[in-house]
Amino acid sequence: MQRTKKWLLVLLIAFVAIQFIQPARNESGQVLQTDITKVYLVPANVQTIFESACYDCHSNNTRYPWYSHIQPGGWWLAHHISEGREELNFSDFGSYSSKRRISKLRAIENSINEGTMPLSSYTLLHKDARLTDGEKQQIIAWTSKLRDSLATIN
Amino acid sequence: MKHIIFMAAASIVFFAACDSNNNQSKTGGDTVQSTEVTTSNAAAATDNQQSASPVKEIVSSYLEMKNTLASDNDKGTAAAGDAMVTAFQKFDKSSLTAEQKKTYEDVESDAREHAEHIGKNAGNIKHQREHFDMLSKDIYELVKTFGAGRQLYYDHCPMYNNGKGADWISETKEISNPYLGKEMPTCGTVKEELK
Repeated sequence: MQRTKKWLLVLLIAFVAIQFIQPARNESGQVLQTDITKVYLVPANVQTIFESACYDCHSNNTRYPWYSHIQPGGWWLAHHISEGREELNFSDFGSYSSKRRISKLRAIENSINEGTMPLSSYTLLHKDARLTDGEKQQIIAWTSKLRDSLATIN
Repeated sequence: MKHIIFMAAASIVFFAACDSNNNQSKTGGDTVQSTEVTTSNAAAATDNQQSASPVKEIVSSYLEMKNTLASDNDKGTAAAGDAMVTAFQKFDKSSLTAEQKKTYEDVESDAREHAEHIGKNAGNIKHQREHFDMLSKDIYELVKTFGAGRQLYYDHCPMYNNGKGADWISETKEISNPYLGKEMPTCGTVKEELK
Protein backbone atom coordinates (compact mmCIF):
# COMPACT_ATOMS: atom_id res chain seq x y z
CA MET A 1 0.00 0.00 0.00
CA GLN A 2 2.83 2.33 0.96
CA ARG A 3 4.52 1.64 -2.38
CA THR A 4 1.42 2.27 -4.40
CA LYS A 5 0.90 5.55 -2.62
CA LYS A 6 4.45 6.58 -3.41
CA TRP A 7 4.01 5.79 -7.06
CA LEU A 8 0.74 7.63 -7.26
CA LEU A 9 2.45 10.64 -5.74
CA VAL A 10 5.24 10.47 -8.34
CA LEU A 11 2.65 10.26 -11.11
CA LEU A 12 0.77 13.18 -9.66
CA ILE A 13 3.91 15.32 -9.47
CA ALA A 14 4.77 14.44 -13.06
CA PHE A 15 1.26 15.31 -14.11
CA VAL A 16 1.40 18.67 -12.38
CA ALA A 17 4.85 19.40 -13.82
CA ILE A 18 3.82 18.83 -17.42
CA GLN A 19 0.99 21.34 -17.05
CA PHE A 20 3.58 24.08 -17.28
CA ILE A 21 4.62 23.05 -20.77
CA GLN A 22 1.94 24.68 -22.91
CA PRO A 23 2.18 24.42 -26.71
CA ALA A 24 1.77 27.58 -28.82
CA ARG A 25 -1.84 28.28 -29.78
CA ASN A 26 -3.13 28.29 -33.32
CA GLU A 27 -5.31 31.39 -33.14
CA SER A 28 -4.47 34.08 -35.64
CA GLY A 29 -7.90 35.69 -35.23
CA GLN A 30 -7.86 37.13 -38.73
CA VAL A 31 -8.80 36.14 -42.24
CA LEU A 32 -5.80 36.23 -44.57
CA GLN A 33 -5.94 37.31 -48.21
CA THR A 34 -5.01 33.73 -49.07
CA ASP A 35 -8.08 32.35 -47.27
CA ILE A 36 -10.25 30.11 -49.43
CA THR A 37 -13.23 32.42 -48.91
CA LYS A 38 -11.23 35.29 -50.43
CA VAL A 39 -10.26 33.26 -53.47
CA TYR A 40 -13.46 31.37 -54.24
CA LEU A 41 -17.11 31.83 -53.48
CA VAL A 42 -17.82 29.37 -50.72
CA PRO A 43 -21.59 28.86 -50.20
CA ALA A 44 -22.79 29.54 -46.65
CA ASN A 45 -23.90 25.96 -46.02
CA VAL A 46 -20.50 24.58 -47.02
CA GLN A 47 -18.71 27.26 -45.03
CA THR A 48 -20.68 26.32 -41.91
CA ILE A 49 -19.70 22.67 -42.26
CA PHE A 50 -16.06 23.59 -42.85
CA GLU A 51 -16.04 25.74 -39.74
CA SER A 52 -17.61 23.17 -37.48
CA ALA A 53 -15.89 20.05 -38.80
CA CYS A 54 -12.62 21.05 -40.50
CA TYR A 55 -11.24 24.41 -39.43
CA ASP A 56 -9.94 23.30 -36.04
CA CYS A 57 -7.11 21.44 -37.73
CA HIS A 58 -7.18 22.87 -41.26
CA SER A 59 -7.07 26.62 -40.72
CA ASN A 60 -5.16 29.23 -38.74
CA ASN A 61 -7.91 29.43 -36.14
CA THR A 62 -8.63 26.57 -33.78
CA ARG A 63 -11.53 26.66 -31.34
CA TYR A 64 -9.80 25.08 -28.42
CA PRO A 65 -11.77 22.51 -26.40
CA TRP A 66 -11.50 22.19 -22.60
CA TYR A 67 -9.05 19.30 -22.71
CA SER A 68 -6.54 21.41 -24.59
CA HIS A 69 -5.76 23.13 -21.31
CA ILE A 70 -4.81 19.85 -19.67
CA GLN A 71 -1.54 18.27 -20.74
CA PRO A 72 -0.82 16.03 -22.52
CA GLY A 73 -4.22 16.66 -24.15
CA GLY A 74 -2.98 20.00 -25.47
CA TRP A 75 0.20 18.45 -26.90
CA TRP A 76 -1.74 15.74 -28.61
CA LEU A 77 -4.01 18.37 -30.13
CA ALA A 78 -1.10 20.59 -31.19
CA HIS A 79 0.44 17.64 -32.98
CA HIS A 80 -2.80 16.95 -34.84
CA ILE A 81 -3.22 20.60 -35.79
CA SER A 82 0.28 20.90 -37.17
CA GLU A 83 -0.15 17.73 -39.22
CA GLY A 84 -3.57 18.84 -40.41
CA ARG A 85 -2.41 22.26 -41.49
CA GLU A 86 0.55 20.88 -43.33
CA GLU A 87 -1.78 18.66 -45.30
CA LEU A 88 -4.44 21.26 -46.04
CA ASN A 89 -4.84 24.79 -44.71
CA PHE A 90 -7.98 26.63 -45.77
CA SER A 91 -6.45 29.89 -44.51
CA ASP A 92 -3.62 29.39 -46.98
CA PHE A 93 -5.47 27.88 -49.92
CA GLY A 94 -4.89 30.92 -52.13
CA SER A 95 -1.13 30.43 -51.96
CA TYR A 96 -1.31 26.92 -53.44
CA SER A 97 -0.43 26.40 -57.10
CA SER A 98 -3.40 25.73 -59.37
CA LYS A 99 -2.49 22.05 -59.63
CA ARG A 100 -2.24 21.73 -55.91
CA ARG A 101 -5.64 23.34 -55.43
CA ILE A 102 -7.23 20.77 -57.74
CA SER A 103 -5.47 17.93 -55.93
CA LYS A 104 -6.57 19.24 -52.54
CA LEU A 105 -10.20 19.47 -53.64
CA ARG A 106 -10.02 15.94 -54.93
CA ALA A 107 -8.38 14.78 -51.70
CA ILE A 108 -11.22 16.39 -49.73
CA GLU A 109 -13.74 14.41 -51.77
CA ASN A 110 -11.82 11.17 -51.37
CA SER A 111 -11.34 11.45 -47.64
CA ILE A 112 -14.97 12.39 -47.04
CA ASN A 113 -16.24 9.58 -49.27
CA GLU A 114 -14.01 7.08 -47.50
CA GLY A 115 -14.82 8.47 -44.08
CA THR A 116 -11.15 9.00 -43.17
CA MET A 117 -11.96 12.65 -42.43
CA PRO A 118 -12.97 14.12 -40.05
CA LEU A 119 -10.82 11.82 -37.88
CA SER A 120 -12.83 9.45 -35.73
CA SER A 121 -10.79 10.47 -32.67
CA TYR A 122 -11.92 14.02 -33.34
CA THR A 123 -15.61 13.32 -33.91
CA LEU A 124 -15.61 11.26 -30.73
CA LEU A 125 -15.22 14.46 -28.72
CA HIS A 126 -16.75 16.92 -31.20
CA LYS A 127 -20.29 15.87 -31.94
CA ASP A 128 -20.88 18.79 -34.30
CA ALA A 129 -18.10 17.50 -36.53
CA ARG A 130 -19.94 14.27 -37.32
CA LEU A 131 -21.08 14.77 -40.89
CA THR A 132 -24.45 13.52 -42.04
CA ASP A 133 -24.76 12.02 -45.53
CA GLY A 134 -26.49 15.22 -46.60
CA GLU A 135 -23.61 17.36 -45.38
CA LYS A 136 -21.12 15.12 -47.12
CA GLN A 137 -23.04 15.50 -50.35
CA GLN A 138 -23.11 19.28 -50.01
CA ILE A 139 -19.34 19.44 -49.65
CA ILE A 140 -18.66 17.03 -52.48
CA ALA A 141 -21.09 18.79 -54.80
CA TRP A 142 -19.29 22.06 -54.21
CA THR A 143 -15.70 20.76 -54.39
CA SER A 144 -16.32 18.78 -57.56
CA LYS A 145 -17.98 21.74 -59.24
CA LEU A 146 -15.10 24.02 -58.31
CA ARG A 147 -12.60 21.39 -59.39
CA ASP A 148 -14.20 21.08 -62.82
CA SER A 149 -14.16 24.84 -63.31
CA LEU A 150 -10.48 24.98 -62.31
CA ALA A 151 -9.58 22.12 -64.63
CA THR A 152 -11.09 23.87 -67.64
CA ILE A 153 -9.21 27.11 -66.92
CA ASN A 154 -5.88 25.29 -67.05
CA MET B 1 -8.50 13.16 -7.46
CA LYS B 2 -8.54 9.53 -8.51
CA HIS B 3 -9.84 10.64 -11.87
CA ILE B 4 -7.00 13.01 -12.49
CA ILE B 5 -4.45 10.38 -11.67
CA PHE B 6 -6.17 7.93 -13.92
CA MET B 7 -6.24 10.45 -16.74
CA ALA B 8 -2.56 11.15 -16.36
CA ALA B 9 -1.69 7.48 -16.43
CA ALA B 10 -3.96 6.80 -19.36
CA SER B 11 -2.54 9.65 -21.37
CA ILE B 12 1.02 8.61 -20.70
CA VAL B 13 0.25 5.14 -21.96
CA PHE B 14 -1.48 6.64 -24.97
CA PHE B 15 1.49 8.83 -25.75
CA ALA B 16 3.91 5.98 -25.51
CA ALA B 17 1.76 3.97 -27.93
CA CYS B 18 1.69 6.88 -30.33
CA ASP B 19 5.45 7.16 -30.27
CA SER B 20 6.29 3.55 -30.87
CA ASN B 21 3.97 3.57 -33.86
CA ASN B 22 5.91 6.39 -35.43
CA ASN B 23 9.21 4.63 -34.97
CA GLN B 24 7.87 1.51 -36.53
CA SER B 25 6.74 3.23 -39.67
CA LYS B 26 10.06 5.01 -39.97
CA THR B 27 12.18 1.90 -39.81
CA GLY B 28 9.76 0.22 -42.20
CA GLY B 29 10.34 3.00 -44.69
CA ASP B 30 14.10 2.70 -44.41
CA THR B 31 14.30 -0.96 -45.22
CA VAL B 32 11.98 -0.48 -48.14
CA GLN B 33 14.16 2.31 -49.45
CA SER B 34 17.28 0.18 -49.48
CA THR B 35 15.65 -2.42 -51.70
CA GLU B 36 14.55 0.35 -54.04
CA VAL B 37 18.08 1.64 -54.63
CA THR B 38 19.03 -1.52 -56.46
CA THR B 39 15.96 -1.56 -58.70
CA SER B 40 16.18 2.10 -59.67
CA ASN B 41 19.89 1.72 -60.44
CA ALA B 42 19.02 -1.03 -62.85
CA ALA B 43 16.42 1.20 -64.47
CA ALA B 44 18.89 4.08 -64.71
CA ALA B 45 21.45 1.86 -66.42
CA THR B 46 19.09 1.08 -69.28
CA ASP B 47 18.09 4.73 -69.49
CA ASN B 48 21.66 5.81 -70.11
CA GLN B 49 21.63 4.33 -73.57
CA GLN B 50 18.91 6.75 -74.59
CA SER B 51 19.19 10.51 -74.96
CA ALA B 52 19.10 12.40 -71.67
CA SER B 53 16.07 14.32 -70.45
CA PRO B 54 16.17 16.60 -67.40
CA VAL B 55 13.21 14.73 -65.92
CA LYS B 56 14.63 11.28 -66.64
CA GLU B 57 14.98 10.22 -63.01
CA ILE B 58 11.56 11.49 -62.07
CA VAL B 59 10.03 9.61 -64.97
CA SER B 60 11.88 6.39 -64.18
CA SER B 61 10.69 6.45 -60.58
CA TYR B 62 7.17 7.03 -61.94
CA LEU B 63 7.43 4.03 -64.25
CA GLU B 64 8.75 1.92 -61.41
CA MET B 65 5.72 2.99 -59.39
CA LYS B 66 3.39 2.16 -62.26
CA ASN B 67 4.85 -1.34 -62.55
CA THR B 68 4.69 -2.06 -58.83
CA LEU B 69 1.08 -0.87 -58.72
CA ALA B 70 0.24 -3.12 -61.66
CA SER B 71 1.53 -6.08 -59.66
CA ASP B 72 -0.34 -4.96 -56.49
CA ASN B 73 2.96 -4.39 -54.69
CA ASP B 74 2.31 -1.66 -52.11
CA LYS B 75 5.79 -1.77 -50.55
CA GLY B 76 7.55 -1.46 -53.89
CA THR B 77 5.21 1.40 -54.75
CA ALA B 78 6.11 3.18 -51.52
CA ALA B 79 9.80 2.73 -52.31
CA ALA B 80 9.27 4.21 -55.77
CA GLY B 81 7.44 7.12 -54.12
CA ASP B 82 10.45 7.78 -51.90
CA ALA B 83 12.73 7.51 -54.93
CA MET B 84 10.63 10.13 -56.70
CA VAL B 85 10.89 12.51 -53.74
CA THR B 86 14.68 12.12 -53.92
CA ALA B 87 14.61 12.71 -57.68
CA PHE B 88 12.71 15.96 -57.13
CA GLN B 89 15.19 17.01 -54.46
CA LYS B 90 18.13 16.37 -56.77
CA PHE B 91 16.54 18.11 -59.75
CA ASP B 92 18.67 20.94 -61.15
CA LYS B 93 16.54 23.90 -62.19
CA SER B 94 19.45 26.10 -63.24
CA SER B 95 19.45 25.04 -66.89
CA LEU B 96 15.75 25.71 -67.42
CA THR B 97 14.25 28.68 -69.25
CA ALA B 98 11.95 30.96 -67.24
CA GLU B 99 8.89 29.38 -68.78
CA GLN B 100 10.09 25.83 -68.23
CA LYS B 101 10.91 26.73 -64.67
CA LYS B 102 7.39 27.94 -64.06
CA THR B 103 5.87 24.73 -65.44
CA TYR B 104 8.31 22.65 -63.44
CA GLU B 105 7.62 24.45 -60.18
CA ASP B 106 3.88 24.26 -60.68
CA VAL B 107 4.09 20.51 -61.27
CA GLU B 108 6.62 19.94 -58.51
CA SER B 109 4.53 21.63 -55.81
CA ASP B 110 1.82 19.08 -56.46
CA ALA B 111 3.67 15.98 -57.61
CA ARG B 112 6.14 15.92 -54.78
CA GLU B 113 3.34 15.82 -52.26
CA HIS B 114 1.71 12.90 -54.07
CA ALA B 115 5.05 11.09 -54.12
CA GLU B 116 5.47 11.67 -50.38
CA HIS B 117 2.02 10.28 -49.67
CA ILE B 118 2.63 7.26 -51.85
CA GLY B 119 5.89 6.69 -49.99
CA LYS B 120 4.16 6.84 -46.62
CA ASN B 121 1.25 4.57 -47.50
CA ALA B 122 2.68 1.10 -47.81
CA GLY B 123 -0.19 -1.12 -46.68
CA ASN B 124 -2.84 1.10 -48.26
CA ILE B 125 -2.61 0.51 -51.99
CA LYS B 126 -6.03 2.05 -52.57
CA HIS B 127 -4.78 5.38 -51.24
CA GLN B 128 -1.55 5.04 -53.20
CA ARG B 129 -3.60 4.61 -56.37
CA GLU B 130 -5.66 7.72 -55.65
CA HIS B 131 -2.48 9.76 -55.46
CA PHE B 132 -1.05 7.99 -58.47
CA ASP B 133 -4.08 9.09 -60.48
CA MET B 134 -3.40 12.75 -59.69
CA LEU B 135 0.34 12.29 -60.03
CA SER B 136 -0.05 10.86 -63.54
CA LYS B 137 -1.47 14.15 -64.80
CA ASP B 138 1.54 15.99 -63.40
CA ILE B 139 4.05 13.61 -64.92
CA TYR B 140 2.23 13.83 -68.25
CA GLU B 141 2.75 17.57 -68.20
CA LEU B 142 6.42 17.18 -67.31
CA VAL B 143 6.94 14.76 -70.19
CA LYS B 144 5.07 17.08 -72.56
CA THR B 145 7.25 20.00 -71.53
CA PHE B 146 10.66 18.37 -71.22
CA GLY B 147 10.39 15.14 -73.18
CA ALA B 148 11.36 11.84 -71.63
CA GLY B 149 14.14 10.93 -74.06
CA ARG B 150 12.36 7.67 -74.75
CA GLN B 151 9.20 6.29 -76.27
CA LEU B 152 6.25 6.44 -73.89
CA TYR B 153 2.51 5.80 -74.13
CA TYR B 154 -0.34 7.65 -72.49
CA ASP B 155 -2.92 5.07 -71.50
CA HIS B 156 -6.50 5.30 -70.33
CA CYS B 157 -8.50 3.04 -68.03
CA PRO B 158 -12.24 3.73 -68.27
CA MET B 159 -13.23 1.68 -65.22
CA TYR B 160 -11.21 3.08 -62.33
CA ASN B 161 -12.85 5.38 -59.75
CA ASN B 162 -16.40 4.10 -60.31
CA GLY B 163 -16.30 4.54 -64.05
CA LYS B 164 -14.84 8.05 -63.94
CA GLY B 165 -11.68 6.70 -65.50
CA ALA B 166 -8.01 7.54 -65.09
CA ASP B 167 -4.85 7.88 -67.17
CA TRP B 168 -1.28 6.72 -66.79
CA ILE B 169 2.02 6.73 -68.63
CA SER B 170 3.69 3.52 -69.68
CA GLU B 171 6.95 2.53 -71.35
CA THR B 172 5.34 -0.42 -73.11
CA LYS B 173 2.68 -0.53 -75.78
CA GLU B 174 1.08 -3.50 -74.03
CA ILE B 175 -1.41 -2.47 -71.38
CA SER B 176 -0.45 -3.20 -67.79
CA ASN B 177 -3.05 -1.51 -65.64
CA PRO B 178 -1.74 0.12 -62.44
CA TYR B 179 -5.20 1.04 -61.13
CA LEU B 180 -6.90 -2.35 -61.19
CA GLY B 181 -3.73 -4.42 -60.81
CA LYS B 182 -3.92 -8.18 -61.11
CA GLU B 183 -7.68 -8.03 -61.01
CA MET B 184 -7.87 -6.62 -64.55
CA PRO B 185 -4.31 -6.28 -65.80
CA THR B 186 -5.10 -5.59 -69.45
CA CYS B 187 -7.98 -3.15 -69.06
CA GLY B 188 -7.32 0.07 -70.92
CA THR B 189 -6.23 1.61 -74.20
CA VAL B 190 -3.35 3.68 -75.55
CA LYS B 191 -4.67 7.17 -76.21
CA GLU B 192 -1.46 8.96 -77.18
CA GLU B 193 2.10 8.11 -78.11
CA LEU B 194 4.65 10.32 -76.40
CA LYS B 195 8.07 10.84 -77.90
